[in-house]
Amino acid sequence: MKKILSICPYCGLGCRFFIKVENNNILGIELYKNGINKGKLCPKGITAIDFIKNKNRLSHPLKLVNNKHLNISWETALKEISNSLLDIKNRYGANSIAFLSSARCSNEENYILQKIARLLGTNNIDHCARLCHSSTIAGLSQTLGAAAQTGSFNDILESNLLFICGYNPAETHPVIMQYIIKAKQQGTKIIVVDPRKTKTSWFADIYLNINPGSDIFLINSIINIIIKNKLYNKNFIYKRTVGFNKLINSTKDYDLDTAEKITGISKDILYKTAITFATAKKAIIMWAMGITQHTTGTNNVIALCNLGLICGYVGKKGCGIFPMRGQNNVQGACDMGALPNVFPGYLKINDDNSKKIEKFWDSNNISSKPGLTIQEILDAISKDKIKALYVMGENPVVSDPDTSHVIKVLKKLELLVVQDIFLTSTARLAHYVLPAAVYAEKEGSFTTSERRVQWNFKAIDPPKEAKPDWEILTLLGKELNLKQINYSSVEDITNEISQLIPNYRGITPERLKEEINGIKWPCPSINHKGTDILHQTKFATPSGKAHFIPVHFKSPKEEIDEEFPFILTTVRIVGHYHTMTMTGKSKSITKRWKEPFAEINPTDANKLNISNNDKIKIITKRGSYICKVKITNNIKPKMIALPWHWGANILTNRLLDPTSKIPAFKINACRIEKV
Amino acid sequence: MLVELKRYKSMKLLINLNNCIACKACEIACEKEHNGISFITVIETDNTALPITCRHCEKAPCLENCPTKAIYKDKNGTILINQNKCIGCYMCYIACPYGIPVIDIKQSVAFKCDLCQKRINQGLEPICVAVCPTQTLVFDDPIRFAIYKKQNAVKNLIRGAKDEIRFSV
Repeated sequence: MKKILSICPYCGLGCRFFIKVENNNILGIELYKNGINKGKLCPKGITAIDFIKNKNRLSHPLKLVNNKHLNISWETALKEISNSLLDIKNRYGANSIAFLSSARCSNEENYILQKIARLLGTNNIDHCARLCHSSTIAGLSQTLGAAAQTGSFNDILESNLLFICGYNPAETHPVIMQYIIKAKQQGTKIIVVDPRKTKTSWFADIYLNINPGSDIFLINSIINIIIKNKLYNKNFIYKRTVGFNKLINSTKDYDLDTAEKITGISKDILYKTAITFATAKKAIIMWAMGITQHTTGTNNVIALCNLGLICGYVGKKGCGIFPMRGQNNVQGACDMGALPNVFPGYLKINDDNSKKIEKFWDSNNISSKPGLTIQEILDAISKDKIKALYVMGENPVVSDPDTSHVIKVLKKLELLVVQDIFLTSTARLAHYVLPAAVYAEKEGSFTTSERRVQWNFKAIDPPKEAKPDWEILTLLGKELNLKQINYSSVEDITNEISQLIPNYRGITPERLKEEINGIKWPCPSINHKGTDILHQTKFATPSGKAHFIPVHFKSPKEEIDEEFPFILTTVRIVGHYHTMTMTGKSKSITKRWKEPFAEINPTDANKLNISNNDKIKIITKRGSYICKVKITNNIKPKMIALPWHWGANILTNRLLDPTSKIPAFKINACRIEKV
Repeated sequence: MLVELKRYKSMKLLINLNNCIACKACEIACEKEHNGISFITVIETDNTALPITCRHCEKAPCLENCPTKAIYKDKNGTILINQNKCIGCYMCYIACPYGIPVIDIKQSVAFKCDLCQKRINQGLEPICVAVCPTQTLVFDDPIRFAIYKKQNAVKNLIRGAKDEIRFSV
């Protein structure tokens, strides 16, 4: 029996465990005590091997013939796909092709897919970071200059206060709760902001039961209190930031009376929150989808940065601005440039930089025009501007808002290729489906939420003809006659990444295999041991200073009216992961988390004559959805919370944050009927 | 954490109240360790949750009420069931104040938490403890655990008093 050190394929914490293997069979999981998870795992982690040997794994390339998927050979599949891609490029131009990369694939795989897209002459490459933290990237780039968690998980243990805003780790990152609970036992104060009384709020010293969408009003009024009481960090603001005067002016009208009305939080609690936050000396701001998935997503993030900056809670131990990432490699996929507006390493797309990239890749075909985001790609397909879509390890039919629209649009494509491990709802529509290897069947590097790059080791072989994504893409590159896609091992790609991206310069495959617990970027040289805390002496902005950016409260775009009087917000539950492609295959999971329950307040339940476990129909302008009800005071009246794993995006809207183009999953107008 | 085997005799499966988030990692880990049956159950009520499993009682009602003496206490004080002697009469389950033993319908005999004997013999703590991401479940010497609880209680009292002063100014 062998024990192979693996990385959990689910969220962005980067938990590690051993996979026990004998004769290419998986015997089980053994806990590994030295990773960030300290041997602990959540229900998804313990069942992370359950789906691997599932009989429905894709194991042959498939082609859609007369609405049926038939087995074909790799040679035929790759030849036909590349011919079709080149033909579409010839007929309509390179920008008629788009690519969706994957936050679930390795750095190498993301790097190579964006490279193929760009060598073909288009920047139409995006991935599901668009749906989770694109507003974080946009907000952090403007304020701090680097789109990443500024400190490490260990800082949680050194902090005096955790300001947890629109983030529910008890459900989404259970393993990080050991840090939060330990900190609390040591005396760290915990403030939780959430319109739902979540499991995380059980641990709160102060719980702010905020009205959905009023985040900026809350944060600006807290900033206002801190400024009025002169509790800001003068020294830090003077030395390390610009724009404080603008911030004072922009927040001075956010008075307590109006704040109480708009946020639903009493003046006393607002005041206590502000004073506790400002006098903590060391604090960490953590957020996730509750902040980002709004039409004001980018501004929500900027407001939180402003709040952290006025108290100087950045760049030192026990402090930080922490966007908590939801996928095993969403940080890495962004770092690798699987985004339409930046090249690898967040190099802005413009003439100078595209020349730089052309030189590095030995190409003359790199576009200096930013490409389209996921939602814009779907729009462009519906307007016949995009004809081919290549999807690696994503399932937009379930994960994107307004499912019916997504399906309608995808059916218009001349070519849809999906590379995945199961025949997902998206793959069902594809002209070609390519069978990929799962995490345990391949090697490569993954970057966690705290910028830690870790090496994933191969435990077993993929089923039948399935191949690692990087191998599939290398073969496709050859078929497309791209001489720059020429790799004989995954390590070749890791090395190329380290040569191109300055933050990854010292992160080589040899080091990653040796330094088993990973290296945190920036790691500028081979002797550098990595960086725990960003922005210690200067910020990553051109001026080296952090920017205060005034932002103002705006009501959510989706209007609540008489026809649709409820606010529907989508949530996650601890047992399932996103579109359930993987967790849905584990019996241990599905018997405990069988079906979705919509949470509804007792006042509304009484009015509508609904009892626990009754079935209701939720109706929005986009569609309707039937599920059971759980009546609870944890949700405010006139609100309804629904886990989205089972396909609730049939209900959600396509309204976007104007800067980051993130859809506003958190606020949807709906009505409820008893079934 | 490797259990020091000579100390194991005094180790008990203990619980930190107020830590559980109902993630059910313990249930799934237990089920994987014990051929598909979980001996630990997480109960979630209004805004709290707690895992419940065999307490390995010092005066175990299940043991006292077992008509065939299938239930016994081993040298370490762990309450175990000898399935060969069990007749599946449900008496242990009826007597147990927590309703812990489960009767496996297929095998017609009772099962319950064995504190992961396989793991204990390898010097490892029970799997539910090892995996629990919130330290709700701990495997410790009750005397040591009590000292730790007392220390924490005192620290919290002092911190509370300091906060009072801070906010009253």
